[in-house]
Amino acid sequence: MKLDPRTKLFLAIVANSVILSAPPVYSVLMFAVPAVLLLFEKKWRFVLAFFSVYLASVIGFEYLKTMDAGLALSLFVSTMMIVSHMMPITIVLYYVMMSTKVNEFLAAMARMHVPNKVTIPLAVMARFFPTVFDEARAIGHAMRMRGIRLFSLRTLANPFSILEYRLVPLLVSVTKIGDELSIAAVTRGLSPETKRTCVATVGFRVQDLIVFVYCLLVVVCYVFLGLTGNLLAR
Amino acid sequence: MSNIRTTGKKSSNTLVRDLVNVGIFAALYIVLAFLSSSIGYIPALIIFSTGSIALVTSIPLFLFFSKVERSILSCLIFCGFFGTAMFVMGQGVLMLTISLLVGLLAGVVLKVLGKGFAGLFSANIVLSLMSSSMMLPLWTSTEEYLEYTRTMCDAGYVAKLAELAQSPWPLVAIYAFGILGAVVGGFIARRVMKKHFERIGLAK
Repeated sequence: MKLDPRTKLFLAIVANSVILSAPPVYSVLMFAVPAVLLLFEKKWRFVLAFFSVYLASVIGFEYLKTMDAGLALSLFVSTMMIVSHMMPITIVLYYVMMSTKVNEFLAAMARMHVPNKVTIPLAVMARFFPTVFDEARAIGHAMRMRGIRLFSLRTLANPFSILEYRLVPLLVSVTKIGDELSIAAVTRGLSPETKRTCVATVGFRVQDLIVFVYCLLVVVCYVFLGLTGNLLAR
Repeated sequence: MSNIRTTGKKSSNTLVRDLVNVGIFAALYIVLAFLSSSIGYIPALIIFSTGSIALVTSIPLFLFFSKVERSILSCLIFCGFFGTAMFVMGQGVLMLTISLLVGLLAGVVLKVLGKGFAGLFSANIVLSLMSSSMMLPLWTSTEEYLEYTRTMCDAGYVAKLAELAQSPWPLVAIYAFGILGAVVGGFIARRVMKKHFERIGLAK
């Protein structure tokens, strides 16, 4: 089941604003959409893991927040709180990122008349978050071998050395990857001034309509109940 | 610079390189900013978190500034991405506006002062204003921001924030530490650039 990238963008915006501003009931209603869509993509293991962690953190937070304890527990509770409030956003963004091919994304953006000068860096950025983490992890392993960790004797003696030993290799590798990427892009004729062609068909279908209507219904429901004062309690 | 279309293919190629660089460094900047601002979760260190962001991100920013050729466009898109990311994470429209303004300003500074140490250094300081503005809603719309953090953090932290919001001085301190971090980070970045990047030819 394929959605139009524009529908995904709409879904991401609506879901984000609802999750951040509305009570949890609405965020559950909202992230049910990407969960169902992920099931269609055969990612049932991810969905299962997501729901178990989410439920655990919500229940754990409800149970623990009444207790008054030391700094360690309060840090733990606040972590749980961030997890339970941020996870709905991550599942939406995960679905959008995972299911959208760069090709389709660029085509849909061109249909929306967004200039290429904005879409090209955006596509690169979306592709680069995992790369940054991968590189950082690899560099971390290499540096651990030499005794450079966040709290080791060498880094405590000179705190700026951690900047030098972790950040500089990361920057070097990332800029090299970037140079190769831009050369590859130019070789394939990517240019902000020309119009690109696309083999994939991008267009609205029945499933797009369903998602649209569902999102609008949730928003209308939230706004209407909010106006009449019958907002479902937190 | 102004006649991109007429100069033909070569200029277009550098434009693509600039755009790719913007994407890469925006990803890196967002990751680093979130990591280094995480010391702000300890209530006593809230004020210093902006300083740590500016300190850590000044090395990548120096590299970014020295690599891009169309300064204004690149800085504008770069800051626009950061502002949009903050917007997605739940900050207001104010943050987005500030980011765009700061990006424009940093680009102009970079263009006027050139790619020497002075240009990179002052553009870095200007850009630190953007990450420092992350806390600005605490003073401009106190109640909403506290309500927002209440959904994210525990009561002690919110109480500390509410206490900070009483007077404008912590805001001044936040900006001052941001600028201080950028200044110190600028000198470190200069050393690092000389020691590493210029030697292997990544920067001029």
